[in-house]
Amino acid sequence: MDRLRGGWAIYKKNLLGKIGLSLLVMFALMAICSFIPPLIDSMYQPMTGVDPEITQSTGPTLRHWLGTDFMGRDIMSQLLAGTRVAFLVGVSAAFMSIVLGTAIGMVAGYMGRFADTFLMRLADMIMVMPTMLVVLMLAALFGQLTIWTIVLIIALFRWPGVSRVIRAQTLSLKHRPFIEAARVAGASHTRIIFRHIMPNVLPLSFLYMTFRVTSAIIIEAALAFLGFGDPSTVSWGMMLQWVWKTGHMFNAPYWLLPPGICISLITLAFYMLGRAMDEVLDPRLRKEAGTE
Amino acid sequence: MKLWKYIGKRLIQIAIIFFVIITVLFLLFRMAPGDPVSRMVDPDMTPEDAEYLISQLGLDKPLGMQYIYYLKNFFTGNFGESFHYGQPVIEIIWARLPNTILLFTTAIILSALVGIFLGKIASWHKGETTDTLLTIGALATHTVFLPWLGLILIWVFAYKMDWFPITGMLSEDVWLHPDTGIFTKLLDVLHHMILPLTTLFLVHFGSYLLIMRSSMLETLKEDYILTARAKGLPEKVIRNHHAAPNAALPVVTSVGLSLAFSINGGALTETIFTWPGIGRELVMSVSQNDYPLAQACFLLIAIVVLISNLVVDTLYVYLDPRIRY
Repeated sequence: MDRLRGGWAIYKKNLLGKIGLSLLVMFALMAICSFIPPLIDSMYQPMTGVDPEITQSTGPTLRHWLGTDFMGRDIMSQLLAGTRVAFLVGVSAAFMSIVLGTAIGMVAGYMGRFADTFLMRLADMIMVMPTMLVVLMLAALFGQLTIWTIVLIIALFRWPGVSRVIRAQTLSLKHRPFIEAARVAGASHTRIIFRHIMPNVLPLSFLYMTFRVTSAIIIEAALAFLGFGDPSTVSWGMMLQWVWKTGHMFNAPYWLLPPGICISLITLAFYMLGRAMDEVLDPRLRKEAGTE
Repeated sequence: MKLWKYIGKRLIQIAIIFFVIITVLFLLFRMAPGDPVSRMVDPDMTPEDAEYLISQLGLDKPLGMQYIYYLKNFFTGNFGESFHYGQPVIEIIWARLPNTILLFTTAIILSALVGIFLGKIASWHKGETTDTLLTIGALATHTVFLPWLGLILIWVFAYKMDWFPITGMLSEDVWLHPDTGIFTKLLDVLHHMILPLTTLFLVHFGSYLLIMRSSMLETLKEDYILTARAKGLPEKVIRNHHAAPNAALPVVTSVGLSLAFSINGGALTETIFTWPGIGRELVMSVSQNDYPLAQACFLLIAIVVLISNLVVDTLYVYLDPRIRY
């Protein structure tokens, strides 16, 4: 607990961290607010609600704060619903990939030899694969992918970076006296890995999680933008695809700007959060940050 | 001589990775729902043509033989026929590859060079306004959503200002006109290339700048920099000749590591600007259910990434004399 409080004290001084966190709080509020518009009127349903008086894309009005899309759906409620999807995709894909990456990294580092070589060669191989194009290829083979399949594939392809770092950390921990002591005391390999090594590498894993969130959100948005998203969910990428494909790019800035700004800002927010956490965990970096 | 041995070793590694990739792709292709024949053979073909293609691709053979046919076809460049173009896939691929390489390598090299240059400046003015502005700029462009940035650039510079063409790589009237010289033709390509290049450049240079900045700050604390200062060397010489070359090494590493990610961006950029490259062809062929073309594009992109990785790593060895393989 004291460590946490100390970390928070350092974090609070970090400008990037503060901006990032405020942005995230704003997005969290947006995600919560996304439940409100459909309750007011069914025309505010992000996917299915159509304003009966509107048949084409119109600019912002009192009734539709950000205007409507080509079939009279409210852009504001789509934008809010998109926040929910972004968080869902980002956090769940990132969480899965760091669980995988941490487990694989610890096993590779601790076991060494064949397991290490095999797992790390596998990591190298996956690392050179462009994740978005892999998902595209799988879409070509298996047809339309659901949002959960996309999340799963992103998680399966984004663990190598994490596992490399965790492996290096595990290697340095492996020969410390407390591990030796545990082994002499008769602890099994599993117990050593989970009770003694894991607590020491977890902070690093969580740091990597923030960066994985960014990449997961970007990949999902890009897929949706290209038209390979889950058609049953509204995401920001999909909103951009609608603007682009329906040819409203040049005459509907009220429609083109908000989703792009949101994707960019949420990415920025997680990135800043990661950088700030980096500084909390690595004292060497604190003095370097000229942005303080 | 050692360098050649290293390259040879890496080439073998690449060959193994590539072999695994094509095998996995083969297995997935067989696992996917639906009839493999209808996936590879255009339903609009005449029965004779279809039969010829099926026997060429080995789709009428048992599974084990099919795999051998698949490998053989791959190494002889026989990827079947594209549904959409009705042409052999290999011809389309060869026509698109140079365009992708032109756009992609120019963008990566340009953003690495500018990133290194600006990162150096930022670190030198640490804490000053220049540094803050550069860092904020890098953070913002680094995290901006690439397709959106592309659309905004098209909207502002191609539509509103009308400075650049909205789509494509060539203007037909320039290229088909018999009197145009090679110089005008190249200028035309450049004119089309500026916006996609800017998009890719903006998204990439930021991360290189940030890496260069922190690596430079780290290097400036080294003892040999202190020695250089003590010798009375001018600051400019210390910065440009002593600190920068060493500090730039992590940037090279990061270029290599982010290549896979960059190629995603390349595909998106090509799609938005209808740049006739491999990435756009992959996206299009997937949405048109043109599996033979999609498969070939994907494999080619994998080769491009693997080879570029090798190039970057070799460059690293060349730049850092401390490393000898």
